[in-house]
Amino acid sequence: MAKILEGIRVFDLTIAAVGPWATKLLGAMGADVIKVEAPGGDRLSHMVPPTIKGNSVLYISANHNKRMIELDLKKEADRAIALKIIEQSDVFVQNMRPGAVERLGLGYEVVAKVNPRMIYVAASAYGRTGPMAGEAGIDPTVQSFCGWCGITGPDHGRGEIYRHLAHLDLTTATTITQAVLQALIARERTGRGQRIEIEMLTAAMALQTTRLAEYFATGEQPAPLGSAAAATAPHQAFECQDQRYIAIGVERDEQWPGFCRALKLDELISDQRFATNPQRVAHRVELASMLAERFKTKPVAWWTIRLNHEQVPCGPFLTFAELRNHPQVLANGHIVEIDTPHWGSMHVDGLPWKFEGTPAGPIRAGGKPGEHAAEILAELGIVDDRGAGGSK
Amino acid sequence: MSNAGSLDGFRVLDFTQGLCGPFCTMQLGDGGAEVIKVEPPAGDFARRMGPPFIGGESAVFLSLNRNKKSVVIDLESASGREMAARMAREADVVVEDFGPGGATTRGLDYAQLRAANPKLIYCSITPFGEEGPLRHLPGSELVVQAMAEYSASLGRIGDPPVRVGADIASLNTGTFAAQAILGGLFHRLRSGEGQRVAVSEFGALLHMRGIMWSSLSDPDDWYGFHLDHYIKPPDYGYQTKNGSFYFILRRGNSEDWDRLVMELGMEEALADSRFDDYGRAATSIGRHATEVKPIWEKAFAKRTREELVDLVKSIGGDAVPIMEYPELLAHPQVAALEVVAEIDHPTAGRLKTIRPVARLSDTPNSIRLAPPTLGQHTDEILRATGLTQGG
Repeated sequence: MAKILEGIRVFDLTIAAVGPWATKLLGAMGADVIKVEAPGGDRLSHMVPPTIKGNSVLYISANHNKRMIELDLKKEADRAIALKIIEQSDVFVQNMRPGAVERLGLGYEVVAKVNPRMIYVAASAYGRTGPMAGEAGIDPTVQSFCGWCGITGPDHGRGEIYRHLAHLDLTTATTITQAVLQALIARERTGRGQRIEIEMLTAAMALQTTRLAEYFATGEQPAPLGSAAAATAPHQAFECQDQRYIAIGVERDEQWPGFCRALKLDELISDQRFATNPQRVAHRVELASMLAERFKTKPVAWWTIRLNHEQVPCGPFLTFAELRNHPQVLANGHIVEIDTPHWGSMHVDGLPWKFEGTPAGPIRAGGKPGEHAAEILAELGIVDDRGAGGSK
Repeated sequence: MSNAGSLDGFRVLDFTQGLCGPFCTMQLGDGGAEVIKVEPPAGDFARRMGPPFIGGESAVFLSLNRNKKSVVIDLESASGREMAARMAREADVVVEDFGPGGATTRGLDYAQLRAANPKLIYCSITPFGEEGPLRHLPGSELVVQAMAEYSASLGRIGDPPVRVGADIASLNTGTFAAQAILGGLFHRLRSGEGQRVAVSEFGALLHMRGIMWSSLSDPDDWYGFHLDHYIKPPDYGYQTKNGSFYFILRRGNSEDWDRLVMELGMEEALADSRFDDYGRAATSIGRHATEVKPIWEKAFAKRTREELVDLVKSIGGDAVPIMEYPELLAHPQVAALEVVAEIDHPTAGRLKTIRPVARLSDTPNSIRLAPPTLGQHTDEILRATGLTQGG
């Protein structure tokens, strides 16, 4: 069956996580993604631990559904090969520091001249204007800068960093993927390629748009609220009798009576202090203390049964050990186990979308640096006259 | 001509409420699509999220609904359902989050709409996915974060759970939904075929933590920030005389490193093996970061955050202040990138909003319409589609 991006070739000059994850998603939609790395591979992601059989998991994970070639773009012969691949590509993605790709002679103007239909993405941490233009950034530095630590932490406590250092990297990546799809649609209609610029900082702020809106409205820094939501209530975690926590979320007014019934607190349904969401938010502290007392009287399982029965959102705090075998995860392929050529069997993120007419995937591992060079050059009809073994 | 958006001419019929679907369709609107937001008579429930409210409108709602037109249609009535189905015939995209069976009972499922509009791209958004034992259950931002293990990377073991303060389950899923729709439209342009696409919030967040599932498959050692965040204490960056900052050293040489250590009065670090390799394993993401943090902070206590940021940068490292919103929004870099845009709203006045992220040189994203008041465009849209309320 046809794939969404069948016949679309991506010249992938990305490093670390932001760029690679974006092109990985294009690969999962069926694009032919050719990852071009300097000899020895993408140094940054190769040194990030943990490793599996000596290879960085970040590298393995961010490069599914790609083919690997090494080119030393500082050498004329290798650059000539790159330009031949570029001639036959549709999308060019790079996330080097602003200025770096121009020094390699592959800035937008050069690439667009070789291939005017090229969709060219330049992603960076802070963009190419302003006092921080050209500065490098990685997930935790952008986390620190972009304000989101200030809204995350214990209730009215100190703001903290999200310690799985990838969420803003991957958020930026998904923005790139989306923009490439927009530009492919545009090209289908106009015949023209174009340049796309994306900054991690802007992507990170867009991800906080609902929280920044609160600040714009009040002029006051929103405090961390532990597990609680700012604009809906009750929407937080409560400790239960078994000393485990349950997450509950009443986001809609029509969920409130059912929630009260599930907790056998029917008298709250008609309590004017809690009649609407804005009132519950205004009285969040007194409401939470009443509910905290109630939840402690029965275990998580009991409340889950009752809240499910009333169609009120609730769930446990799961761990990977539970998730990897969870029937919901397995049924939807949210996490899948694949065989890889070099690293054994591995759990990987499932596809984030389902296309019923043109299924995405399957997910397959990428490879080691340079692994597919001969195959790629043969397929593209590019003669490698650099001597045996290609780039050294 | 060069100012046309990439999605100009596409019409999106949006039945979603809350955060996730509206964030998706706002991005389609940013691209130039005409987004018709179909609301029940009581309005999208996000209109009641808050306080804060501005001019009677929820700040959360306002942040997710620019570039849309609001039409009130009561889908609980047969005439309302008929009207919606007729509008779907003229749509390129339908987005719904009715939940399992919800679209079918309203006469708006894919099979029903495709019959009259075979080129339609139909997107369903669910909390947990369309298969499996939880497919019938409702979700919420926190519930999805909790089930996707997000709290395991925050707070302290044994303490009450902490969520990510941003609405990531909703907004990251909204972006995946936009991707799915764009993918569908691209395929339609090339093949003429419509299709149904779907995303889930649980699936989206489990995707976003994917590096960890692989890290946990068969790691060579229990080391690295895709593993040890589980057992690390909360990370606040590094305290200085006047606030916190964060720094790493990816580059550098011996001379620069020695200079940093001398300037900070940390000569003892030169003989401390945890600071080997120009201190790389001793800075924020290094193997010894947690244990040597007090050594750094003792030296940092005498200096300001700004001095330290400059000092680290001067030796080739990356350093940034840890900022909250007031400082961030006053920062010249945010101004230089024009991250904050403004738009006039009929009742809420001049609104600030975060601009579309991607800057496309030939078919730019744009902000054209303020978030609508409830039913603001009902007459206009129904007249344009030859429909009248109750008919």
